[in-house]
Amino acid sequence: MNAQAGGSTEAAAWAYVNEARPVQQLMSAALTQIAGFALLAMTSSRPLSLAEGALLSAQQASMQAVEAVRALEAPESASHHLHHLRQAAAMLRQGCSSALRCLEPQASQGERDALVRALRATSHHLRATATLLPGFELVDLRQACCAAHASKPRLCEA
Amino acid sequence: MADYSIWVLEYAAVEKFPFSVMMYGPMHQGTRKLPYAYVLLKGKGETILIDTGYDHVAFGKQLAESYGVSNYHGPREVLAECGVKPEDVTSVLITHAHFDHMGAMHLFPNAKFYLQKSELDKWVWALTLGQEYRFLTGGGDPADIVRAVEAANEGRMILIAGDKEDVLPGIDVHLAADTHTYGSMYVTVRNDGARNSADKWIFAGDLIYTYDNLTGLDPANPQIVPIGLAVGSQHNLIFASAEMLKSVGGEARRVIPVHEDRLRSAFPSRLTDRGLQVVEIALAKGDKSRVN
Repeated sequence: MNAQAGGSTEAAAWAYVNEARPVQQLMSAALTQIAGFALLAMTSSRPLSLAEGALLSAQQASMQAVEAVRALEAPESASHHLHHLRQAAAMLRQGCSSALRCLEPQASQGERDALVRALRATSHHLRATATLLPGFELVDLRQACCAAHASKPRLCEA
Repeated sequence: MADYSIWVLEYAAVEKFPFSVMMYGPMHQGTRKLPYAYVLLKGKGETILIDTGYDHVAFGKQLAESYGVSNYHGPREVLAECGVKPEDVTSVLITHAHFDHMGAMHLFPNAKFYLQKSELDKWVWALTLGQEYRFLTGGGDPADIVRAVEAANEGRMILIAGDKEDVLPGIDVHLAADTHTYGSMYVTVRNDGARNSADKWIFAGDLIYTYDNLTGLDPANPQIVPIGLAVGSQHNLIFASAEMLKSVGGEARRVIPVHEDRLRSAFPSRLTDRGLQVVEIALAKGDKSRVN
């Protein structure tokens, strides 16, 4: 590969990272909100007004994420990454639908199980995106107390 | 004689951790070793953990390379030092939802988990605020909440609202709202089972990192100095610390900071073949020492 082609490949990868990362962050936040809602719903007998707000917000975020993922283009080197991002978006949508069904008073154990499966699959695919390319870490360890001491530049700051 | 045997088990460490994060204020005062640890309690037919440690598969490499975390060992190896397997653990009290305290729920397949409801409520709320507010949710891993949902679906997740006595036999939990995190909690073990216990131990989670948070650095002029990192406030951390101290009659040694390296000299302890500390806080009747 000549230097010019190499530079253009690298530029395409950078462009993908810059566009995909906010989408992944959006999905990660939406996943946490849906999971938080599910957890509150499964462990509480009282109405979940606060959690329902979060669920609506997560629903919007997941729809946004699906649209954004659809628009992403990945160079060959990032195609596997994009595959997991797309799968995560699809599973997130499923999780959102399942969570809404679980709001119904007569929600069955089967619907709860479907929700858990969708959340687990979303988490799995998001975690894959975090391991395949740098800059997609799901936990910002620099903001975490026990690891806050050694800030290293992330990809976008390098 | 004590109801529970209690050990603090180191599972990894940062050898050079800035003191300014452990204590609010003293900048440029060097580093200390910061052990990562959890607490094991055995007695009354229960095998209990306070916190789970982190998910090494997800973060081990990153923590080792970027943050100097070394010598990680999983719970199977660490608990074996006290003759316990992860499958034996019946209950886990999660002091707060940070990755290094809640990140290994999946490794305890038979345990029930206890977490403060407000820790979850407010985290979920903070996520609705947007990326510019991400400081408020730092240290939390979405995968941990998904695992908590899995546990809840199996009837193994209990959310607690505020203080609760006898959440397990002789064990109380206390909400320290808006301190280190939104819903941090500390754990009191009344190790003689009495309501007005004369043998009380408090496990502080990350409300304090070191005994120095309870005493200050000047022995002639003691004061409570909070840790350096709070989502809530240093004010609330100070009053939570005061409450913990008061509860044990001012005897700071009975308020256990799991990240305190000096636990090994404050209590009987042993360095394992893997270079990890086992600290023995108490020994139940009939149980054998794991440090002698």
